[in-house]
Amino acid sequence: MQQLQTDFQSRDSLISYVKTLAPWAKGDPSPIEGGRQNAELKLASIDPKAYGETRNFGDGKITRLSPYIHHGILSLSEVRNFALSKCGNPQEITKFIQELAWRDFWQRVLTEHPDWAWNDTEPYKTGFTASDYADHLPDDIERGETGTTCIDAFIKELVTTGYIHNHARMYLASYVVHFRRVKWQAGARWFLQHLLDGDIASNNLSWQWVASTFSNKPYIFNLENVHKYFGNLIDTSPDANKLLHASYEELQIRLFPNIKGAL
Amino acid sequence: MNQPLIWLHEEALRVTHPVFRAAPEGTRAIYVWDDEYLSQLDYSLKRLVFMYETLCELPVEILRGDTVSIIKQIAPSILYIPATTKPHITSTMSKIKSVANVEVIPDENFVTITKAADIRRFFPYWNMAQKTAFQKNGGIDA
Repeated sequence: MQQLQTDFQSRDSLISYVKTLAPWAKGDPSPIEGGRQNAELKLASIDPKAYGETRNFGDGKITRLSPYIHHGILSLSEVRNFALSKCGNPQEITKFIQELAWRDFWQRVLTEHPDWAWNDTEPYKTGFTASDYADHLPDDIERGETGTTCIDAFIKELVTTGYIHNHARMYLASYVVHFRRVKWQAGARWFLQHLLDGDIASNNLSWQWVASTFSNKPYIFNLENVHKYFGNLIDTSPDANKLLHASYEELQIRLFPNIKGAL
Repeated sequence: MNQPLIWLHEEALRVTHPVFRAAPEGTRAIYVWDDEYLSQLDYSLKRLVFMYETLCELPVEILRGDTVSIIKQIAPSILYIPATTKPHITSTMSKIKSVANVEVIPDENFVTITKAADIRRFFPYWNMAQKTAFQKNGGIDA
């Protein structure tokens, strides 16, 4: 067995070393750095109350702690304890605590049902069966060249940083499964490759939630919704995002033609 | 004489993880850079660098090779492993159990749930979880 180096002069020299260990690994390193010290700095700067009020917005007070939580660098319990210490009334940070609870929930689900990691837990509620969905992610999605500008912006961020806002993850998952009719497993695999916080339980079961194989109906979105939450950050003009520029009623007819009536 | 050993995997990269308290003080801790395992997962360089720079801050030896073979070679008296739900790691753990005496150590609880949660939907779970989710340490020693 070979003992590997752990002492480096700089981040660049560490990166070069990792490249020699894994020449097959694709892409470039993320600007987001690992380690407990970085985790503690991020934890110290969280604002759990503002998180609850702004978390759905692209520039909201999200914490970006998930890469550290996924790798166990921070435990869910210590993040919760720290958040409690920063607020006077715990009810003010309900949304924040609930978001931590989602991770605990996904872990419990997968512990109970390990086979749900890659298998549909229920049939799709889209008017289609699993065999109607493509097995593989189309190349234009992987390259971030779909022609729908806001989608391409989210993909670029995913691939270059290994982190995207939770709302953007839902948009991308919905785009892949419902707008392009690709199996959620292909998208989940793609996310796991790139996301620094890529966790099979949270990631795959969230994809199933969007797909409707772990929820009562498919999650869809339109351009108006993207504009509301990300309009000040990316190009959400109708001309650059024609595919998404529609009402929910129009999208339902277009995406789920076999379903009559409301979802 | 064989000694105890901690096998740290990618979901438990902190010295305050309960696995370090479960093992006798000063127990050797290793992380195995298992090429076959990592290439199977097809992680991008971003993920690998993030993990590696985290490992470099820890009091852990990084050994390169096949996980099961390395543990078999070290032949610990007892092997402490942090619990995980990750299928690739649980599969390796099953193989390790044939070559070592294993103790799996769960992470700190987030909440205390006494009866089996309805795990098909979030809100039935939340109805039970919220009783302790707002307490320090999830109500364990509050």
